[in-house]
Amino acid sequence: MARAQDEWSLTAELARLKLDETEALRLADEAEKMRELFQTMSRADVEGLEPTTHALVRENRIREDDVSGFDHVGDLLDASPETEDEFFLIPNVL
Amino acid sequence: MPVYAEDWRGVLADPALCKIYADGVEKIDERIGSFLSFNAADSESAIGGKGSLDGIPVAVKDNIAVKGRPLTCGSKILENLIAPYTATAVERLQAAGASVVGKTNLDEFGMGSSTEHSALGKTVNPWDFDRVPGGSSGGSAAAVAAGLVPLALGSDTGGSVRQPASFCGIYGLKPTYGTVSRYGLTAYASSLEVIGAMSADIDLLQKAFTVMSAGKDERDQSSVDSDPPGSGEKRIKVLDIPEGVLDSAVAEAYADAAKALSEAGYTVESFALPSYDLVVPAYYTIATAEASANLARFNGIRYGYAPDYAENPVELMKLARHEGFGDEVKLRILLGTYVLRSGFQDQYYGRAQKVRTLIRKQLADLFQSADLLLMPVFPTQAFLYGDDGMDDYRQRVADVFTCLANLAGLPALSVPTGLSKGLPTGIQLMAPAFAEERLFAAARSLSKIYMPQLAPCALNPRSFS
Amino acid sequence: MNTEKYEVFIGLEIHIHLKTESKMFCSCRARYGDDPNTNVCPVCLGYPGTLPQVNKKAMELGYLVARALGCRLSMRTGFARKNYFYPDMPKNYQISQFENPVGVEGLMKADLGESGTRDIRIHDVHLEEDAGKMIHAGDVTLLDFNRAGYPLLEIVTEPDLKSGEETEAFLRDFQRLVRYLGVSDGNMDEGSMKCDANISINLRGKGLGTKVEIKNMNSPRFVRLAMNYEAERQAGVLDSGGELVQETRLWNENRDITETMRRKEAADDYRYFPEPDIPPFEPDEAFLSRVEQRMVELPLAKKRRLTAEYDITPEQAEFIHDEAGTAALFEEAVSLGAKARTIAAWLSSDIRKVLNRQGIALTESPLNAARLAELIGLIDEGLISGKIAKNVLDEVFARNEDPKKIVEDEGWSQITDPKILTEAIRVVFASHPDVVEAVRNGEAKQRGWLMGQIMKATDGKASPDIAGRILDEELKG
Ligand SMILES: [Mg+2]
Ligand SMILES: [Zn+2]
Repeated sequence: MARAQDEWSLTAELARLKLDETEALRLADEAEKMRELFQTMSRADVEGLEPTTHALVRENRIREDDVSGFDHVGDLLDASPETEDEFFLIPNVL
Repeated sequence: MPVYAEDWRGVLADPALCKIYADGVEKIDERIGSFLSFNAADSESAIGGKGSLDGIPVAVKDNIAVKGRPLTCGSKILENLIAPYTATAVERLQAAGASVVGKTNLDEFGMGSSTEHSALGKTVNPWDFDRVPGGSSGGSAAAVAAGLVPLALGSDTGGSVRQPASFCGIYGLKPTYGTVSRYGLTAYASSLEVIGAMSADIDLLQKAFTVMSAGKDERDQSSVDSDPPGSGEKRIKVLDIPEGVLDSAVAEAYADAAKALSEAGYTVESFALPSYDLVVPAYYTIATAEASANLARFNGIRYGYAPDYAENPVELMKLARHEGFGDEVKLRILLGTYVLRSGFQDQYYGRAQKVRTLIRKQLADLFQSADLLLMPVFPTQAFLYGDDGMDDYRQRVADVFTCLANLAGLPALSVPTGLSKGLPTGIQLMAPAFAEERLFAAARSLSKIYMPQLAPCALNPRSFS
Repeated sequence: MNTEKYEVFIGLEIHIHLKTESKMFCSCRARYGDDPNTNVCPVCLGYPGTLPQVNKKAMELGYLVARALGCRLSMRTGFARKNYFYPDMPKNYQISQFENPVGVEGLMKADLGESGTRDIRIHDVHLEEDAGKMIHAGDVTLLDFNRAGYPLLEIVTEPDLKSGEETEAFLRDFQRLVRYLGVSDGNMDEGSMKCDANISINLRGKGLGTKVEIKNMNSPRFVRLAMNYEAERQAGVLDSGGELVQETRLWNENRDITETMRRKEAADDYRYFPEPDIPPFEPDEAFLSRVEQRMVELPLAKKRRLTAEYDITPEQAEFIHDEAGTAALFEEAVSLGAKARTIAAWLSSDIRKVLNRQGIALTESPLNAARLAELIGLIDEGLISGKIAKNVLDEVFARNEDPKKIVEDEGWSQITDPKILTEAIRVVFASHPDVVEAVRNGEAKQRGWLMGQIMKATDGKASPDIAGRILDEELKG
């Protein structure tokens, strides 16, 4: 169980999830239950099957290299929790 | 009380009627809680041209973008976000004359089957206020059942349109994957989900689908042109359900519906799905994997919730996500991250994608000798709120009948089949890709027996004037 | 480093910005230097509900580079999500390619200087998107997302390079290649090309060693310095009985050393999976023939052909083939009748000087093949001297006019009339009888001085050949 806990906290780190202690325990517990459910797939015979990564693929989809700007760029900046002049702002990356 | 789309035409265009309408919605929704935001008089959403949906008010699940309106996804992390653009599906409805009147409640980011996981409001079932409306598109289903709109959009990743529609006694359509553009639908599980619609009026539902699926969208390269295979021969296969899986009311409605279809001229046969036990594990593995990436963008920098203070960018992101996401979302991100990790990916995500192939093959085989499949929507009727209801794990496992269509990308429709113990029951029909027409035809057959009804509390547009 | 004892293995990960009008997955303008956060939209800012729309031109250019590098082209290429959090990456995953990149298993023939020509194996060529830019300002960081979503092509080589010198030469060849193809500017200092390196050393015959990744090298020269520094450093560690660690190091160009950035951690896990928003792409015949049409003769092949086909020196060929435009101008001028060696000489000296002085490229300059051939024709026909020709060249650049017209307008044609030249020589003789006497008495050296005086008297226009002949006759007296 302690090992499972470690796996889940490493996973949380990868997902940039900060979990406080009770949260971590509760989530790890629930996650373990789901993981066990997922493990039932090990019984499936999938020998020789290709994975399905896209539901329906019919043709090539591709866009011409044309420029069309977005009209409300200012709104996009305004939506940010923190900006400075025309920049989005965050604490320094150190 | 049957309700027709015709009753709504003219309401929005007339300021006096519109006021009566808005007041009516306010009064009823105080108790139902279907809308997170409502503004019927907003001209921006009434830009619509003239078309098959002229004058129809539409409610839109709050994970679908409508320019100038909130796009909260039922999450604290997007509580203050205003959409800077409009989803293609909504644009098409607007161009056909429909007007968006409000945005509806949902399980946070579509993750849930009861709408209990919304961080922004509580929605109850209009048929019984102690019960859930289902989910994740619970607000949309409740709004339609409560007569607040004749048509609502939801999104269906694993049953999120069909199950709440069924809990609320209306039709819920999950179209063929790709026929309705996902552009503007906040992604939860990209390869599984599609925008769907709900209504108590099968004709209106079909019109909305026809409008939304009119050709592939340049902005969604996974969208496709619909390519209907024809109306088929009225051969239905009915999924065998082991004893004890369904509640008695659901089991009874299920058996009755099969009988009704047989009487309506369908040949009815039963079938078993060999991979039945693999459906939920494969579905949740894929859904959470995709979700873990899709929800990574919410980090408190470009938009959305940010903590008051963070020392560095990593802490900023972690705090924004910690304080901004609810438990179910965190759980699914955690699971999805796990099943993609190197060392685990082959065993979980990779295997699930192969199981998905297996399930698709089995369904394709079934459709060799069937034109439609009949299945339950959910093992229970609308359940009670909170601890008296269904725990989260059991809710997830109960998605088995609905998430099958999402794994295969196939169209499916939940159809109301009347009431049992005062609560709606329903069944689900599934068709081959692009054969939505068959779903509508079968639903019309059933509607002669089970005329869809709105909840007793429902608003009636005929009473406005 | 003891090269008898150790073997060095260097592999590169090169990113180039592709020359497209719009971004990789949205229609925002792909351009440098605009005001911050002006070339952005809901797609490239990672707004909920937005989806990527693959740029056709980027796809074509990706296939073109893969084709030019001799890769096996994917007949079903696909994108994948590379998951990691970074503030300048809007979606916190990068759309890249993983399982089915546009091309794999290529070979690039490169001229590695002293090591000669060698095939460097290409592991793969894949398309992806760039991130935004972070500007650090005190205790805050400013984010500009204009670059976010810019189309990138990453070229990954096998660890086939053996020294800093080879690596620098390879990179210069590679830059030339992408410029020939017109897919990228390939400027490392401007950021349209970036190069990270993996370097390991090991005892000879023992195969690859512990891989160290080096970043932050902003020119091919810095790559050479960094590789040589790092090989020495690693040899030093091994010589002193130490062990190398797998890590990422940064080149510090002020101190000429590499410094540890971070160790490889368990948390480095990109969790690649197929991008569900983008269906696989299967290049059809029309697509592949468009790619084929973009193919050009590659630099190394061109250099070899120029050397073989024309009477020019290897150094001249090196210079001429450096830019496709120069080579094209050279060959066209030859076809117009000018002598190859003369053109080559002009291109690699005087013309180069003018271009450097003016800071423009030959292809953008007023000098074209016809004008160059005309200029050389004027010299060959004896109508102008080499010295005058340099003035004419300057004027071609200054006025954007043909050499013949300039010579006529300026009256710069050479004086070939023996009567006029005899006249001029006699005037010089009259002014300097002592020098004339000295030359006649065998002081041959002074003859040149007399020629100079004749040139001076004719404003440099005297035909050296004819004037020289007449001078000699006059001296005989
Ligand atoms: Mg890369
Ligand atoms: Zn953009």
